[in-house]
Amino acid sequence: MEVLKKDVEIKRHHLEPVQQSVSKKNDVEIKGAFKQFGSNVVLNGIDLEVKQGELLTLLGPSGCGKSTTLNLIAGFLDADRGEVHIKGNNVTKVPPYKRDLGMVFQTYSLFPHMTVYENLSFGLKLRKVGKAEQKKKISKALELVKMSGLENRYPRELSGGQRQRVAISRALVVEPELLLLDEPLSNLDAKLRHELRAEIKRLQKEIGVTTIFVTHDQEEALSMSDRVVVMNAGKIEQISTPTDIYNHPKTEFVFQFIGKSNCFEGKVSAVDKRTISVKIGSDISLVDADNIMGNDSDLKTGDEVKIYIRPEKLKIVSAEETSFSPIDFHRANISQINYLGTSWEINVLLQGKSIQVLTSDIDSSWKNGSEVFIGWSPSEVMLVKK
Amino acid sequence: MEPIRSYASQEIKQETNQIEPQKEPKLKKRKVWVPGLLLLTPILLFIFGFFVIPMLYILYLSFISTDNLGANDAVYSIKNYTQLFSDSYYLSSLWLTVKISLYSVLVALFLGYPVALTMAKSSARIRGYITLLIVSPLLVSIVVRNFGWYLLLLPNGTINQTLMSLGIINAPLKLLFSEIGVVIGLSNAYLPFMILSIVASLYNIDPSLDKAGAILGASPFRRFFSITLPLSIPGIVSGCILVFSLSMSAYVTPALMGGANVPVMPVVIYDQINNLLHWTFGSALSYILLATTVISVAIFTRVFEKGKFKEVFR
Repeated sequence: MEVLKKDVEIKRHHLEPVQQSVSKKNDVEIKGAFKQFGSNVVLNGIDLEVKQGELLTLLGPSGCGKSTTLNLIAGFLDADRGEVHIKGNNVTKVPPYKRDLGMVFQTYSLFPHMTVYENLSFGLKLRKVGKAEQKKKISKALELVKMSGLENRYPRELSGGQRQRVAISRALVVEPELLLLDEPLSNLDAKLRHELRAEIKRLQKEIGVTTIFVTHDQEEALSMSDRVVVMNAGKIEQISTPTDIYNHPKTEFVFQFIGKSNCFEGKVSAVDKRTISVKIGSDISLVDADNIMGNDSDLKTGDEVKIYIRPEKLKIVSAEETSFSPIDFHRANISQINYLGTSWEINVLLQGKSIQVLTSDIDSSWKNGSEVFIGWSPSEVMLVKK
Repeated sequence: MEPIRSYASQEIKQETNQIEPQKEPKLKKRKVWVPGLLLLTPILLFIFGFFVIPMLYILYLSFISTDNLGANDAVYSIKNYTQLFSDSYYLSSLWLTVKISLYSVLVALFLGYPVALTMAKSSARIRGYITLLIVSPLLVSIVVRNFGWYLLLLPNGTINQTLMSLGIINAPLKLLFSEIGVVIGLSNAYLPFMILSIVASLYNIDPSLDKAGAILGASPFRRFFSITLPLSIPGIVSGCILVFSLSMSAYVTPALMGGANVPVMPVVIYDQINNLLHWTFGSALSYILLATTVISVAIFTRVFEKGKFKEVFR
């Protein structure tokens, strides 16, 4: 039998709802993590702090190091350099089975030879929880994920969504220090994914367990998280709230990875304290001086730059109505109109470049070739030095 | 109806032109069965001619109770079968065969499982090398291998000499021409079958199950007994069945390693037919051996498939 690191009698999280606000205390700290597989550097100096009670998402394309980071926290991988601290303890050398965590995997990973009840009691038995207490905790944990009454089913007899619910309650029933979710929704169909997404978010807030969620799905990350960590090529690009990540990306990668984007290339024609003027072809676009991405924010006249705009931030109007301020408008021609149900996606040619506009207002006279004006506010344009 | 084979493709065309949904399943059936059956014909004929017919002939022989096979006045009875139960020599031979086969299964299992576990955890390249090593003894003739064992196991062979020179034993152990010798030979010969079937089932276990066990607080030792071992039971069962059936019917190894001291059923049957020319009694013994193997395997499989871990067979 196992002797666990901590006395399990000490209650940490309860399966009863507790309103717990995100405090300033850090539950997880990763310091200077570096990991290499052969010649392939998967983590190139990661520093990460996860606050108590928050739901933090690691987001990025495959191979960015998000799963490696999670495995580092779980203890399935050892970093070549760097340290992992959980609740103030340095666990860098502690094996996973002594870390007292809960984890949900992409492939559900329920023990196929055990019933739902046995799957849930597995961790409790190891913690030497008494039979009666086990029963109480298990029924509470199943109730939490709306799976009561299925105790005697085998995983084989459950649907994908049900399996993942059981997996979540198996992770929670042991009242872990941390909950780790490794792409738990990616094997489910779209409808179930939506449903479980909302449920995980609700559960996490109810129980207040610090949660680290790994996903490559930006919608999932933006909708569920308190904070999002965008990773790329073994490095952290940005850590911030979902709205901040979307509206004020720090780097070009973050802008391109999250949401749709339009890009222009141009030259800085004037710089003052509040705005930067960029010459695109024969037009001039103004950009807020705060909206510079990347590390190099020192711009001079004549610098080559790229500016990025999201399709839904663009205004599209007919030729007559050009009197919005402070938006500057640019002449363009429609090349295609696509109806998306809730909005229209209009492709226009602006200075010879194809630009995508998302709008819910459309002029019924517009057709391919119509001349329109495309405008944007300087505060919604992001700029990066080339 | 037109002949099926030659016009099959034309008919399919016709049927798809007519919009009659009821004809669909028929069309599908024809497509699947005809080529399949044609491809299987040679092997079916081969098995029928060289296995089913001889087996039926032996069954027929086993019910003839006259020793003179050529006689016209053949008497049919179950005398050959009852003879087994009246003579303790044959009964004890049958029990010996079962006992030796069970020992061989156990030895192969305990030697093979760790190897299988190592293989399942290795990289694809290492696994390839180990497979090659495991299968390589099969390339050597079983007779040659048995004589190899002689060198080691004889009273003045390597093992006895070493043990005696170390002072561990005073007189040579009877390793050869004994039950131990036969078990050593059989488990060695059939070990690859055990290892490969266990590896196959270990390899099918989702690696994240082990991770899930670890995260829930189970040590590697605990994980092995709660997760890996139960989930590899299908491989263990099929490996045991293979080694058991092969050991039950093995002739060369018991004959060479045990000789007259270890009269297992195949050796007794050979003796009856080839030396004593008791074809009918030999045939009955063959069927008794076969029945014993089949019944043992059936009970063994049943116990596991209905037992505590029935879920792992699905």
